[in-house]
Amino acid sequence: MNRISCISINYRLAPVEIRERVVVSLKDFEDLMPRDAELYALTTCNRTEVYWTGMDEGTVAARLCERSGLSGEELRKFSEVHHGRDAVKHLFRVSCGLDSLVIGEAQILGQVKDAYRASLEAKTTSIFLNKALHSAFRAAKRVRTETDIGKYPVSVASEAVELACHIFGDIHQSTVLVVGAGDMAGIAASRLKERGAHDLVIVNRTHAAACTLAEELGGTPRPFESLKDELVRCDIVIASTGSPVPIITKPLMDEVMKARRGSPLILIDIAVPRDVDPAVAKCYNCYLYDIDALKAIVDRHLTNREEQAEKALGIIAQEVDSFERWVHSLNAQATIKDLFGMLDAYVEDEVRQSALCGEEAARLEQNLRSALRRLIHRVVSFLKEHPSLANIEHTRRIFRLDGDYQDRHKG
Amino acid sequence: MTINAVFLLYTLAGIGFITHLFTRKPAVAAASRALFVLSVGAHLIFILALARQTGGLPVLSPAQGANMMVFLASLVFVFFAFRRSTTVLGAFFLPVAGFVLGLIAPALTQAGASSLASSRVWYPLHTLTVIGGEALFAVAFVVAVVYLLHDSSIRRGNIHSAATSLPPLRMLDRILTVCLSLGFVAITAGMTFGALWASSMGVSFSHLAAKASAGALTWLVFAFSIHQRFAIGWAGRRTAVTTILGFALMTILFIVLNLVFPDAHGLGLMA
Repeated sequence: MNRISCISINYRLAPVEIRERVVVSLKDFEDLMPRDAELYALTTCNRTEVYWTGMDEGTVAARLCERSGLSGEELRKFSEVHHGRDAVKHLFRVSCGLDSLVIGEAQILGQVKDAYRASLEAKTTSIFLNKALHSAFRAAKRVRTETDIGKYPVSVASEAVELACHIFGDIHQSTVLVVGAGDMAGIAASRLKERGAHDLVIVNRTHAAACTLAEELGGTPRPFESLKDELVRCDIVIASTGSPVPIITKPLMDEVMKARRGSPLILIDIAVPRDVDPAVAKCYNCYLYDIDALKAIVDRHLTNREEQAEKALGIIAQEVDSFERWVHSLNAQATIKDLFGMLDAYVEDEVRQSALCGEEAARLEQNLRSALRRLIHRVVSFLKEHPSLANIEHTRRIFRLDGDYQDRHKG
Repeated sequence: MTINAVFLLYTLAGIGFITHLFTRKPAVAAASRALFVLSVGAHLIFILALARQTGGLPVLSPAQGANMMVFLASLVFVFFAFRRSTTVLGAFFLPVAGFVLGLIAPALTQAGASSLASSRVWYPLHTLTVIGGEALFAVAFVVAVVYLLHDSSIRRGNIHSAATSLPPLRMLDRILTVCLSLGFVAITAGMTFGALWASSMGVSFSHLAAKASAGALTWLVFAFSIHQRFAIGWAGRRTAVTTILGFALMTILFIVLNLVFPDAHGLGLMA
């Protein structure tokens, strides 16, 4: 397991000014890679990670410094290095979203897969990293299906969509009114659009800004004076203006709800100061959520994700163990191969020393080989069944596979 | 088929739907649906056997009337159970249905006032429409309870627990409105048929005054609820509350009147 290593420059250690400098691709390392080395690089807005086998840490770090313009000391300060089991565990944690800024986010898995596709095209990965990445994908799938980590939304806009779905069922049929044309309003409206809301109406004091946002989102701009009419017509309201006083007041909503004949209305007020008078919550069939209420819900979900992360870590530990077993089995294969190599060397030595030739030499060789194969058969079977690192190590020590045999062969 | 076996099947299906509410596993939902269909089938066989035993529509006692109401309401819920968005309603209906069946089981085979069933036209029409209307009110009651629970969860922002499986409020409101409207039409028709039946039997109004008044009172509560829903715009929570109050009043009147005036017209408020 000591073959795999990783260097990670991530949001926990490095500020964005550093992260944006350390953006690397596989091409940056291709000329450094020996014939049997493997390399995988992942770059997202929150991290740059390089995984490799068959290369020195110093070589990779030097190339990172060269490409980013960071000094060796700076790189050490803003990065973390993992080797062996820790590196594999880190890869699995990253793929499962447990190392993400928002725990459990699913986007990272797609990014890990995209980076893997690039490394396959560039042929920089082989059996070892391929297996590690496939194991990481399996771990991520298990974490998604066996825990509730990605179940609850942790963004205000997503939560607003969830609430709307619980009231209206299908937001494809709902009309969304966006009051304000600032960045926050735009983000929230685009999330609703992504989730299927197709009837977007934008109302803003500055009509030109409403027109611009409407064009961006594919909505319809309306003059600010039509606010009351639009409130009567819509199902979901996103309010995010810079107004210092509430623009959706209780008397206005009393009139609106009367005209709506009790049809429910959900108001998401993400403005600070608030755009919707808190008293509006008392209007019949009005569901009002301000930024604090939504933040409280989102925080609850984040706490839940942290709890689920504990369960996910258990799954990751199982998958790392499974990967480790595979690595050991690889070493067991190598040890078995060495055992047979040793056997052949002994047979050749004995036949040479016997001074026999012709048919007699051939018979001796056959008998010796058969006897020795029977002798090591049990060892081979045992190693195949229990390919643990300890067993492999004991076998190599007993048969001196790393000593006498290797020396003799080199000689 | 005995009522105890029917009760057991309803209970098992209820446990299945409650498990599905919390686990949201499709396999649990499928098993619960199968058990529920089996329960309703067993219930039908029991009612047919009872009809054979009584020699007519088995609604000759308050217990038999309640039994028929549970059966008709279950038929409506079978439809809900097979729609993915409304499957969970079974978790709220089946415990109530099971409870009612358990309560009336000992009295189901007792003889009713079969002599009053002599009118072949008005009597079956009266009993079936009234019991059908009451079954629809029972459905509306369960949906109203679910509406209030879900509404409360949404207001608290707690929509990711068991509430995740509950149907959206707009859908619940639509079901509630349809059940109330159809139930109201059925009850109105049932009361008219009841008056015609009393007239054909020569029963004096004084004999029926208590039950007719109670029936009229319940009718008024539902009429009020429907009026407010359509004319004033009491969609949602207020309609749910008036439905629950109306159904509670109907149940209380049914129990009280059958205890105080057991022989008023032999069938209590139910028929």
